[in-house]
Amino acid sequence: MAQPFSGVRVVEVGGTVAAAGATKGLSDYGATVTVVEPGAGDEVRRLGPFPGDRPHLDRGAFHLALNTGKRSVVLDHTSPSGLEVLVALAAESDLVLLHLPPEEARRVLDAIARLDDSGPTTVTLAVHGVDGPFAGRQENDLTLFAWSNRMFRHSFDGQEPLRYSAQVATLQWASTATAVAAAAIWGRRHDGVRRAIDVGGVESLAGNVDNWFVPWSFTGADTPRPAGLSRVAYPAGLLRATDGYVSFFAANEPFFSRLCKGIGHPEFATDPRFTDPAQKPAHFDEFMGHIREYLATRTRNEVFLDLQSHGVMVAPVLDVAESFEDAQVVARGSFVRVQQPGVGEHTLAGAPFRLEGAWSLAPAPALGEHTFEVLSELGYSADEQIALFRAGVAG
Amino acid sequence: MTSQLLAGIRAIDMTEVWAGPMGTSLLGDLGADVIRLESFPRPPAISRPLREGNAVPGDGPPYERAGSHHMANRNKRNIAVNIRNEEGAEVVRRLVATVDVLVEGYSAGTIEGLGLGWEQLHAINPRLVMVSMPGWGVEGPYRGYATLGSGLDATLGHMVVRGYPDGPPDQVPVMYHTDATGAVGLVTAVVAGLLRREETGEGCFIDMSQAEAFAWHLPALQAEWTMNGRVPGRLGNVDPHVVPHGCYLAAGGEAGAVAWVTIAAENDAQWAGVARAAGHAEWAEAPHPWATVTGRLRARADIDAALAAYAASGTAEEIATNVAEAGGIAAPVIYHIGLMTSPQIAHREWLQTVTHRYAGTQTLGGFLWRIEPDAPSWDLACGLVGEHNVEILQGLGYSAEQVAALLERGAIGDRYGAR
Repeated sequence: MAQPFSGVRVVEVGGTVAAAGATKGLSDYGATVTVVEPGAGDEVRRLGPFPGDRPHLDRGAFHLALNTGKRSVVLDHTSPSGLEVLVALAAESDLVLLHLPPEEARRVLDAIARLDDSGPTTVTLAVHGVDGPFAGRQENDLTLFAWSNRMFRHSFDGQEPLRYSAQVATLQWASTATAVAAAAIWGRRHDGVRRAIDVGGVESLAGNVDNWFVPWSFTGADTPRPAGLSRVAYPAGLLRATDGYVSFFAANEPFFSRLCKGIGHPEFATDPRFTDPAQKPAHFDEFMGHIREYLATRTRNEVFLDLQSHGVMVAPVLDVAESFEDAQVVARGSFVRVQQPGVGEHTLAGAPFRLEGAWSLAPAPALGEHTFEVLSELGYSADEQIALFRAGVAG
Repeated sequence: MTSQLLAGIRAIDMTEVWAGPMGTSLLGDLGADVIRLESFPRPPAISRPLREGNAVPGDGPPYERAGSHHMANRNKRNIAVNIRNEEGAEVVRRLVATVDVLVEGYSAGTIEGLGLGWEQLHAINPRLVMVSMPGWGVEGPYRGYATLGSGLDATLGHMVVRGYPDGPPDQVPVMYHTDATGAVGLVTAVVAGLLRREETGEGCFIDMSQAEAFAWHLPALQAEWTMNGRVPGRLGNVDPHVVPHGCYLAAGGEAGAVAWVTIAAENDAQWAGVARAAGHAEWAEAPHPWATVTGRLRARADIDAALAAYAASGTAEEIATNVAEAGGIAAPVIYHIGLMTSPQIAHREWLQTVTHRYAGTQTLGGFLWRIEPDAPSWDLACGLVGEHNVEILQGLGYSAEQVAALLERGAIGDRYGAR
């Protein structure tokens, strides 16, 4: 069986975390993704950590994780000669995904638009979308998050809003672009329509899973930002077992009844002190005393296995080292090892979804590793390749 | 005309909370005919509150008027089926025979226990693409375990790096982010399944762990451990290699609300913009120690203090605009009203005005992408419980009398609670 995107040819221009993340999902599921990057290397190559804390364009964590299986072509597409090569590459491709400053993006899109109807579908990334009063602003992962109506909620009342962790907002935007790019590949096969797609970062976050804007829009009521454990809807939040914390979400039925049974007090499930919303807050400390008694003799994992066997939504809070040893992760092989030239054996997250024979992981390319192979494929002669190299256009 | 990318594809949504409902709405936005097979008689745990709570005032039951599920259940028809009832299960089997895709999000193993697992459904419809998307995946020792996104964040090591660097370890702000990731990941998975089916002529099964769908978004966190043997703690808004990179309290915002502004400069040019906006162009000129990347890195606390003072001189919007126009990076930390008042959001005509039978005319967040020439459109507002029972069941060959009898016997439903 072939991989699902086998035979699909994608060109990526821009080299940001968003662009690299967006085409990774196509590359790992079979597409041939060619990254066009400047001689200085894409932005995604500059983000650490790096092995031994020594920066290197071919060894950064984001490059290794997001450029898997791609081809790297060094090409200055801002020159007429480079743009000509890029357009030739685009003409042979199904999809071009780009994330560039607005004027550069417009220049590339206009050149691609001049191709005939067999030209590629385009997916353009821009934090605020391709047009509008903010379209020219420079942003990064932090400000994307601030614009998204999520950062404010990721805080406690009166305290500084926080990002999640580095590049998580940007990679959500990237995954959104992957989804619509995949659908566009399918759509083109079936109706032949060439499409121009625009994925705005702010829109991709603000429009997906929102538990704040919509309730407020409907009723004018703000969702409070909880600080610490709720004394009204409990147990929810982090509680300490002998070796660390366990995340609980068991305030509502049917989970509350199951939890009461799990901690050896099934009678609490019908006790009005803990079930009547009017009385429940006054008995918070009493109920927590019973849970803490249960937790005092159990590890995170014992609590997890025991309460999950009763159908209670709990999970152990693991640090990143522990997360690699998690029983489910180990049993499923959720992380895989890749032989990466210059780095050695490197560990990366495995398939985001499992379809037999669909996913594979190949090392990320060195900067410019495939430049002349791709130029040859496009029909450039040896002399032409040398001329492009000498002129500083290709490298 | 709505988007036609997935035109002709018919899908069943048997999911509950966020990731699945949102993801299948995205399939609807892309032109698929999506049928939400609503849980009955027990309402979906979170999206259908039986009490007034956050429901907009109005006629009809509160679970039709609560906002939270309207966004994630657009562009679908709705059929409410008791899948634990033999006649209800038969409705599911007959429906499955007519579709391309089925997405289910129950705890792993639940659907097999109901006789509606992959083996059975594949036998009914050999061309079915089925996606199961439990939190930790279908196979493995956690099969059958229940979780929300917060549990996935906990086991992936992400929860310990969220929160305030100096704050209590048991206090971490709430987030639902893995659901958003699962939603878009689902779309890619469905397309991959359809492409596979096109190649082989056979349906296929996809095991989508929502934890694994998010794990690849954490390469920096994972590489700290795998490359360098470090276990990172909470960083808050700090980037160890970028100064400034922070969130500052601005002067009073809209209606006196607390307002915050984020400011960053990843290089000297952006820093020059920040400095100019703050009225201190000299901060970016030699020999000022802050003019260089390393100088700024060594002066993190002083720069944060200087920018905190600057941020307090205007509203978050004003500060962000000044910095952005000078060439730095800045954004106000917007909340609700920021989406309503943003000139950018208005220019893009992003917000959607949707009319719903019980919730009335409401404003909702818009689409995740723009597509030319066939833009997505909000053709179907959130379906009422069982709103399309009759048309869908009649399409399967049930007579009007049979549908009425199924309703009478509780195999299908059109409301929660006693009839």
